[in-house]
Amino acid sequence: MHLPDDLRYSSDHEWVRLEDGKVRIGITDYAQDALGDVVYVEMPEIGAQLEASAKVSEVESTKSVSDIYAPVAGRVVAVNSDLADSPERLNDDPYGEGWICVIEPDDPSALDALLDAEAYRRLIEGS
Amino acid sequence: MVPFGGWEMPLSYPDGTLAEHRACRHGAVVFDVSHLGTVRVSGPGAFAALQRALTNDLSRIDPGRAQYTHLLDPDDGSVLDDIIVWWVDPESFDVMPNASNTARVTEALAQEAAAAGTAEVDATDVTGERAVVAVQGPLARERLAAVSPEAAAVSRFTVARVPWGGTVLTVAGTGYTGEDGVELAVPADHATALWDALLAAGVLPAGLGARDTLRLEAGLPLHGHELGPGITPLQANLAWVVAWDKGPFRGRDALVAEREQGPVRRLRGLVTDGRRPPREGSPVRRRGTDIGEVTSGNFSPELGHGVALAFLPPDAVEGDELTIDVRGSELPTRVVALPFVKKR
Repeated sequence: MHLPDDLRYSSDHEWVRLEDGKVRIGITDYAQDALGDVVYVEMPEIGAQLEASAKVSEVESTKSVSDIYAPVAGRVVAVNSDLADSPERLNDDPYGEGWICVIEPDDPSALDALLDAEAYRRLIEGS
Repeated sequence: MVPFGGWEMPLSYPDGTLAEHRACRHGAVVFDVSHLGTVRVSGPGAFAALQRALTNDLSRIDPGRAQYTHLLDPDDGSVLDDIIVWWVDPESFDVMPNASNTARVTEALAQEAAAAGTAEVDATDVTGERAVVAVQGPLARERLAAVSPEAAAVSRFTVARVPWGGTVLTVAGTGYTGEDGVELAVPADHATALWDALLAAGVLPAGLGARDTLRLEAGLPLHGHELGPGITPLQANLAWVVAWDKGPFRGRDALVAEREQGPVRRLRGLVTDGRRPPREGSPVRRRGTDIGEVTSGNFSPELGHGVALAFLPPDAVEGDELTIDVRGSELPTRVVALPFVKKR
């Protein structure tokens, strides 16, 4: 299970990468493996204002649907529109081309409440 | 692995459901379908007992052939199980119900055997003695020929015994994918060797996930979704499985009454434009009014959009524009002819 050290993680199996004060989010390798082949990703609208833990996206695989929650409160400033035609990128490259959206956080310090790689590893290995 | 009808089954192998699905449509895959039951019905009274228990007419076929058929609820004519019968020997039939229905089918056959009269019938659940694998896809026979040319030569709806690897396989030209292929019953202690030989011949293993998307594209009903309590063969567009003129069989009276009145609903195919999968339980609406709900739905890997099955009123016909409510989003949908993907 691939868990980059430079990312923060939510207990809902999202990853967060801090980039110039904004955060890029996606789902973890663990999450994509559990979901199976992703066939559809519902995108948030650019400009949408999200509360922390609000639903930001729906990811559907051949076997199930999962809600994706905003790891931090903020405004959606970019979405990965390539996923409309290539949702399999969530499986193939969950930390890279499979990113879902970029959020401008209301409070950048909110990231401190998220898990580091080691804490997330303990979470999934305990589950 | 997931629990399925009392068995632990793989949802997919490492290549994943979509790759397995495509391999079946364009290459060759193998499913472990040992969860299908095998009830061996034998003896001089076997034919008569099966004729009384099941809807189809075995006199339409001969020993060495297979037939799709239904076991109905005697009171309301709903489909308790859909079954493939392999007519192996003149007085021996391998009756193959769905995983969870083996005990129910064995019981019904014993009752009909008793009702049929004096001729001796034995109905024994032999599920635990054998494994069954389904080799399916346009290249299934070519790849299987490297393992057993005789098995690869068993044609559609034919049943044959084939010596292989120090044992004997029972092979039938049947399947559940909308593709050509065969199913092979193998004694349990030889099953691993057969599986390994098939993989070595270039056949990709496929799991329940691909089995479901394949049968859905092929418009084939799944028990518990498009067949089951409250659903008759007529509602599921399977009147061809019912042999009205062969004499009495379980559920016939209820079915005759439904035929005279006309079924109140029919199974229809629905397609959506986008990739978003319609899901079981989603309401189907006509101009805002619920007229049914999705019984099976998914993304069609072959077509690249959503497909669904639903029981709809008889006046909902091919070409009608409807909507499916997928968790609050109204997806436009259109009624189409089944199957979604034509058998090749």
